[in-house]
Amino acid sequence: MYRTLIFLLFIGAAHAHQMSPTYPKWSSSYLDGLSVTRVRVFNKRKDVEYYEIGVFDKDMKPIPFVSQYDLRGIKYNNYAMFDVFINDKYKQDARYICSKSMLTDIKVAVSSRICSKFKN
Amino acid sequence: MIKELALIGIVGIISYGGSKSAFALDVPITAQVSGSCVISTETAGTYGQPNAYTLTTAPSDGGQQPITRVDVTLASAYKVKFTPPSDFSSSPNLNDVVTFTGDTEVSAVSDATNMADYETDKVETGSVDEYDLTATGSTWFKHTSVAVNGGSRAFPSGNYTAYVTAECIAL
Repeated sequence: MYRTLIFLLFIGAAHAHQMSPTYPKWSSSYLDGLSVTRVRVFNKRKDVEYYEIGVFDKDMKPIPFVSQYDLRGIKYNNYAMFDVFINDKYKQDARYICSKSMLTDIKVAVSSRICSKFKN
Repeated sequence: MIKELALIGIVGIISYGGSKSAFALDVPITAQVSGSCVISTETAGTYGQPNAYTLTTAPSDGGQQPITRVDVTLASAYKVKFTPPSDFSSSPNLNDVVTFTGDTEVSAVSDATNMADYETDKVETGSVDEYDLTATGSTWFKHTSVAVNGGSRAFPSGNYTAYVTAECIAL
């Protein structure tokens, strides 16, 4: 029964993009004047190798941030943690942190973007 | 002697009980419910070509509609937004202006009771469709895309790529 269930789950979610948490929080970083948050992106999309991270305000306008990788390769069936640093002066404006799949060539593909929200 | 032992025993039992309540531990059970959204592409789409100047995902015209599944683990924590293609991300050199139309509709739900109104409650802004995901579980969305070349001119031969954008945004 378990084997059947696991098999079906893998079939059902063959190409998935997941991001958590839903509501991340900024915390103090080891760098003065910068706050940091961490999000986890899971790649279960065979057609996607790279994910891009972005920080946005309430109108989905980009906000400057620093991360070791804003575009990062994540192998199929693997996850990556993104540590995102932001200048404290932008912290109140930052409303969303999003991960976006970077697609390779497919006829009619689905470009996925998941946005977590900072609840100020 | 027996009375003394009995007394010591009683005192011991009382003091044990007393110390148990005095030093009772509250054992915390904690949980962090982080929640997440998962966007899955269940079926990749393909365009069919019913005539020289039209590309469509309609199955009746030889196309295949892409199907997306969205899973959420927190109710009323996300909205999902779908934008159909408005241009080709890759194509041969085009010989005229291409007009795109597209649509999204709910094709299946995991919770027929609490997700029954998703389709009727969707917000359509132009060709962008938005759904509030008010229940936990999975929702399947079917997308349609039609591209018509201007002046009824034939599409140049080659490979065409277009993207449906699926966004899951925390509320």
